[in-house]
Amino acid sequence: MRHDIVIRVNGRAEELEVTSSETLLETLRNRLKLFGAREGCGVGVCGACTVLVDGRPVSSCTMLAAMTDGKEVLSIEGVASDGTLHPLQEEMWARGATQCGYCTPGIILAAKFVLDENPRASREEIVREMAGNICRCTGYQKIVEAILAARDRLASKGAR
Amino acid sequence: MTAIGESVRRIDGLAKVTGSVEYTINMELPGMLHVKVLRSPYPHARVVAIDASRAERVRGVRAVLTRDDLARLNIDPYFGPVVRDQPVVAVDRVRYVGDTVAAVAAVDVEAAEEALEQIAVDYETLPAVFDPAEAMRPEAPRVHEGVRPADVGFADIRALNLGEGGPNVASHFILRKGDLEAGFREADEVFEDEFSVPAIQHFAMEPHAALAVAHADGRIEVWSSTQNPSVIREQLAEVFRTDLSKIRVVAPFLGGGYGGKTYPKLEPLVVAMAMKAGRPVRLILTREEVFYTVTRHAVVTRIRTGVKRDGRLVARQCELLFDTGAYADIGPRTSKNGGYAAGGPYRIPHVAFDSYCVYTNKPPAGAFRGFGVPQICWAYEQQMDVIADRLGIDPLELRLRNAVGEGDTFFTGEILHAVPVRTLLQKCAEAVDWPAPSRPASPTRRRGKGLAAMIKSTMTPTVSAATLKMEEDGSVSVLSGTVEIGQGSDTMLAQMAADVLALPLERIRVVHSDTSVTPYDQSTSSSRSTFSMGNAVRQAALEVREQLLRMAATQLEISVDDLEFRDGQVVPKGSPERALGYAEVIRRHFGMGVGSVMGRGTFTTTGHLDPQTGQGKASAFWFTSAVGCEVEVDTETGEVEILSLVGAANAGKVVNPVLAEGQVEGSLLFGIGSTAYEEMLYEGGQLVNPNLLDYRVPTMADLPRDMRSILVEDPHREGPLGAIGVGEPVVAPVAPAIANAVARAVGVRITALPITAEKILRALADAQGGRA
Repeated sequence: MRHDIVIRVNGRAEELEVTSSETLLETLRNRLKLFGAREGCGVGVCGACTVLVDGRPVSSCTMLAAMTDGKEVLSIEGVASDGTLHPLQEEMWARGATQCGYCTPGIILAAKFVLDENPRASREEIVREMAGNICRCTGYQKIVEAILAARDRLASKGAR
Repeated sequence: MTAIGESVRRIDGLAKVTGSVEYTINMELPGMLHVKVLRSPYPHARVVAIDASRAERVRGVRAVLTRDDLARLNIDPYFGPVVRDQPVVAVDRVRYVGDTVAAVAAVDVEAAEEALEQIAVDYETLPAVFDPAEAMRPEAPRVHEGVRPADVGFADIRALNLGEGGPNVASHFILRKGDLEAGFREADEVFEDEFSVPAIQHFAMEPHAALAVAHADGRIEVWSSTQNPSVIREQLAEVFRTDLSKIRVVAPFLGGGYGGKTYPKLEPLVVAMAMKAGRPVRLILTREEVFYTVTRHAVVTRIRTGVKRDGRLVARQCELLFDTGAYADIGPRTSKNGGYAAGGPYRIPHVAFDSYCVYTNKPPAGAFRGFGVPQICWAYEQQMDVIADRLGIDPLELRLRNAVGEGDTFFTGEILHAVPVRTLLQKCAEAVDWPAPSRPASPTRRRGKGLAAMIKSTMTPTVSAATLKMEEDGSVSVLSGTVEIGQGSDTMLAQMAADVLALPLERIRVVHSDTSVTPYDQSTSSSRSTFSMGNAVRQAALEVREQLLRMAATQLEISVDDLEFRDGQVVPKGSPERALGYAEVIRRHFGMGVGSVMGRGTFTTTGHLDPQTGQGKASAFWFTSAVGCEVEVDTETGEVEILSLVGAANAGKVVNPVLAEGQVEGSLLFGIGSTAYEEMLYEGGQLVNPNLLDYRVPTMADLPRDMRSILVEDPHREGPLGAIGVGEPVVAPVAPAIANAVARAVGVRITALPITAEKILRALADAQGGRA
């Protein structure tokens, strides 16, 4: 069965015809050619396919596209605005928190949610919230440092 | 201006944080078909008949590949980097659950999946063997009949004694040095132990993927998530009986490798399918299929060591059984490297090591970060603590007394250089405040500290070549076969070129591995790229520099000795106003703004081991590392918390501190995974946990609160500016360091990885029972 849906992806309305079994990840990659979300485990555990749907992180490999009708989807391609990197992107890069890069978009989106919800999240809270995003390269240390640095930058920006 | 030693941001970082990296899985070709693989449900069976006719009629299906196609396609169906034992698709038998039986190419994945169910295969099951020790018994079922070496084998494979050493033995590495019996007679105490390590997964986040096109004129093009495109090309040339120059293998960015993407995996299958279908094809493995594709060797180590009362090691005998699964892959070399590393980073005058690479009916095992050393380090570093306890010597002191150092002779007879084992151990000991006793947090939460060290070789002999092209605007393209797998090789190589040519990194582009474009490089593995490709790129850059120097000297009518390189210019000493930018030098040389200046670099290493004694030269250089930790063990639950974890490695010279630290930190978490959780579990040859729900890898919650990396710079005389690699060395000592800490905390020793709460509780109960 096919479904006509309209989703806003990175701020742009997309009218799509999707199948019943199609996942949001397949829609993003195969129809919209947005390759920043990637399949890692295929069972919604590793976080490499994380996107934000109405601001909340979801594993796009297990979410059906048809269920996102009318919703707002943010993928990594929409995180930088007007060519300016988000502080999370800048800090991840500057602090060596990305190696192979496969998990990086999911990490950035999950961290964005954590900081959006709780701009003063502690190290412990960040680590607990981020345990659903696996990185096999970095050993996580530099990711935690990058998120903390981005948190502080965002906080000082907000204070201004 | 030098870019060496600075934490410059990685040059591929922008693509990575914006999600725009070009991985193999993102690639599409016009008219491309999607491939799915039919896999064996049996651990060992004869394939009696295959009927693909119904599958071929499924809507959207364009081709089904079975053994019946091999002859018509003129394919020699067996591949393998050491032993040609793995068929493109099953020929007469299947040898493990998950083995490749047949494949379908269709216009979409769904059609291909549907067609798989329509392939009728008639199997006749055969007795199977799952344990390497059982596989070596005379009555064991044979996984293969005979051993056929690869046509283009690497030189070090001569030392492997292929097919010798008993039933189902793919290879037998032998090392003999000194007089073992005399050594044991000299010993005051003899220790005999057995340790084991299960098979685990690399779990690169990106699954294996490959695309292929078979052109009508015989050219073959492959894009693959491979760590060694040149090896893939050689293997494809053997299977498809064609010239290397007709085969193009491209390796885009990889989403992690850790050894799991070395040597042929999907490539022979996708090429055969592209030939059969007459269209481009793409295969992306599911996570479950990755579990069936390659693993880290399960190893059982029997280790017997003779010691003097003062702690000096005098004799050691080791027998290692590497379970290589159904196909040898690079297992014979893995078991060789584990074999000569069995003495650890210590001086032992009398040794005998036997390392067997054994076939069983399980998924194939291959290269994995640490390459055979983590499995054997798990054994010898635990035994060091057993020895220390029995002799009443501090474990650090025992290690320092026996550690190798500059100028010592290794077990292979070669002289060691740049092996600062004592420094590494001392730095780790210092970092965990080794002399201070661990205090229990409570009566049921006991604490202990642990140490471990290791020594590891690099693939030898090898060849790495690079071409450097200075464009007419003075910018530079580095043509290198090194694959960017996340380790930061693009950045490291750009730093090497920038250093020689006095250019900012922004003016240097690293062109990725493409066998039609980039010169030969053996492999992106064995932590060899900084040393080997780093040298090749520097050499190529020096050649460019030399030419610019001569051109500028002519143009300025000045001696080459009076010129220097600064900020992208050739500068006459003392008269900087006459400096020429590189673009200007090239413009004046060619009389117009065109042309390029080319530099070449080739770096080779040599070595050879005698097959009967393992004597000779095993490695161009040696990695050394140590790990220190403190743990807290809950005696009521058996749970282990890592309070601190420190990894130290010799980098020779740190090219980029942040990237180098990242390698050490990543290695520490890799170590935690294999220590605490990771294990492929089988029931009757059937893997029961081939997914991330049942197979756990470390998450951010596993990051120890206090984790540190230490990089020591003991330069290697042949390394570029003294540098060697740091990608692997810290993995191996993590597990034994933690096991040693657990033993010191609660007095029980876990000899089989992983160290689970259940095993600790059982051991504690046994120890209680023993006392009662």
